[in-house]
Amino acid sequence: MAEKAKFKCLRCGHEYEDKYTPKVPQERTCPKCLSNSVRRIEEKRKA
Amino acid sequence: MMDAGRHQNLTLLAYSEVEHVTGYIGNFNVKIRKKARYVNEDECTACADCVESCPVSVPDEYQQGFSSRKAIYIQLPQAVPSAYLIDMDNCLGNNPIACGKCKDACEKECIDFDMQDEIIDIEVGAIIVAAGMDVYDPSEMDEFGYRSYENVITSMEFERLICAGGPTEGHFVRPTDYKLPKRISFIQCVGSRSSKNGNKYCSNICCMNTIKDTLLLKDHYPDVQSKVFYIDIRAFGKGFEDLFMRSKESGVQYIRGIPGDVWEDPKTKNLLLSVEDTTIGKVQVHESDLVVLSVGVEPRKDMKKLQHLLTLSNSVDGFLLESHPKLKPVDAPTRGIFYAGCVESPKDIKDSVTQASAAAARASIILNAGKVEIEAITAIIDTDKCNYCGVCARVCPYNAITAPDRKSGVYPTIIQAACAGCGTCASECVQDAITMRHFKDDQIIAQVDAILEENNMDKIVAFACNWCSYAGGDLAGTSRLQYPTNVRLIRTMCSGRVDEKFIIHAFKKGAPLVLLSGCHFADCHYISAVTWTQRRVERLWNKLERLGIRPERLQLEWISAAEGQKFAKVMRELEEMRKKVTDKEVKETMEILAKDEEKAKAKKAKQAAAG
Repeated sequence: MAEKAKFKCLRCGHEYEDKYTPKVPQERTCPKCLSNSVRRIEEKRKA
Repeated sequence: MMDAGRHQNLTLLAYSEVEHVTGYIGNFNVKIRKKARYVNEDECTACADCVESCPVSVPDEYQQGFSSRKAIYIQLPQAVPSAYLIDMDNCLGNNPIACGKCKDACEKECIDFDMQDEIIDIEVGAIIVAAGMDVYDPSEMDEFGYRSYENVITSMEFERLICAGGPTEGHFVRPTDYKLPKRISFIQCVGSRSSKNGNKYCSNICCMNTIKDTLLLKDHYPDVQSKVFYIDIRAFGKGFEDLFMRSKESGVQYIRGIPGDVWEDPKTKNLLLSVEDTTIGKVQVHESDLVVLSVGVEPRKDMKKLQHLLTLSNSVDGFLLESHPKLKPVDAPTRGIFYAGCVESPKDIKDSVTQASAAAARASIILNAGKVEIEAITAIIDTDKCNYCGVCARVCPYNAITAPDRKSGVYPTIIQAACAGCGTCASECVQDAITMRHFKDDQIIAQVDAILEENNMDKIVAFACNWCSYAGGDLAGTSRLQYPTNVRLIRTMCSGRVDEKFIIHAFKKGAPLVLLSGCHFADCHYISAVTWTQRRVERLWNKLERLGIRPERLQLEWISAAEGQKFAKVMRELEEMRKKVTDKEVKETMEILAKDEEKAKAKKAKQAAAG
């Protein structure tokens, strides 16, 4: 099931939200600089 | 088809489904389910006595639901073998009280209600995939009134209505009043070339199909007026432009513009189309007795199942991906498998026949040779290092590695004929139990060492896959595009070959920035190897962050062979990033990684001592 996740571009630093399906690799492109160095930001678990 | 059915070297398994495929080029094992027809196809003469006695009547799928068929039927008149089958979902059954009339009517006693599905196992050397495509269903969009108005039909439905073997025996009538429509409008690109509805690609065949239909109409009914609403007419095949001109000269009106709205006159059931004729820039309303939607084609709904069955990948449009678009257009990435027809892309009959002939010729090369030349670059397993984890078998895009079994002490084995040499297994094996023939670990590490031996702070280490990114770099060079000269490329066959340790080694040796570059997902020459590259890079980003190293210093990029511009742009951007990496940061990274290595060694030694 696709869910929303936060992503960060490691080229320009742009952060954005996009659809994300766990365990299904997907080609990602930063909407700002078009780089593929896009990393999903995992939200830290609350203590 | 009749010739195929009679050919002594061909075994036709109609009404059958492939259930499982194992093996590799030259040695495929295929399990086929031959579905029960409940009619002995060898004895049936298609006399139709059974059909006359069958009391069930259901919509005929072949006739697009315009007429009905019986529960015992032949799917289409030209079906080979020409034998009946029973549709058990609708048949009343063999209960004498309920029915069984077909059995009584059949003098040759061909009907067998106890017939079971048969599982057939065959060994084949090559496989040709000719599974076809689906036709786009315009029900999901209602701007053309397909769901609302009976006199809006698809090009497939038109085909049945005008066909001599169709439900009206070729007497063309419109559905509401069964009268000959005098004004017919064709709307092109329904479900094609749209980012909103249907598919983005051009379906290739619809323009010529409509031109053919307009000529058919003119031939059968010279008084019928036809109008074609189009974006642009694509008539690029041999003789196609002539056909288009003939259609125009015969009086068919071609209007450049797609109707924005279609509505019905409730009294006459005629249809009104509102359209902007873009050649004159005016909005017009056209009245028609019948509207034909020229629907596109799309990949089969069960394409994923087919892909899983044969270890194939698909391109962005959902059709099957070929091994190489120019040099191996009929070969699948998995050796020994070939494509014919629309399973690979939308194409007309002529192109399908051409591709089928090419696929048959390619397959016959394998069969006639009797032996297979294996790739020079394949993987080898060192069983002394293997710990039976099975990762290699799981990541292999070609299913070329048999799974190990720890309990029985069976190591994974690499089927050399099936291995394509992507190197994903070697990169994913944490035990380093897999080595490649060529592009070995020590060869790649030696290249990293050589790059960073002098002036390391000025260098960008870039790993590029042979087929796409490296070729993209070539294109940038031959196109004389300017990009920084301090980028040092290390070529691997696939980005999947780039082991985590190569990247860590580059940072350990003082690389300010590392790039890992491969094919776009839909272009990957090793089916799905590129997805493992992405997973690995994501793992590495996490690891670098954990160690206190900026993950930004490892960059990832998908560059195709045609993207010379992108290659140059990426290199310029990376150079800007490299300039911001300080000497202090690089030295700290080297120290962190040296310590981490020491820690890992100590841990390993402790584990070894503990047994």
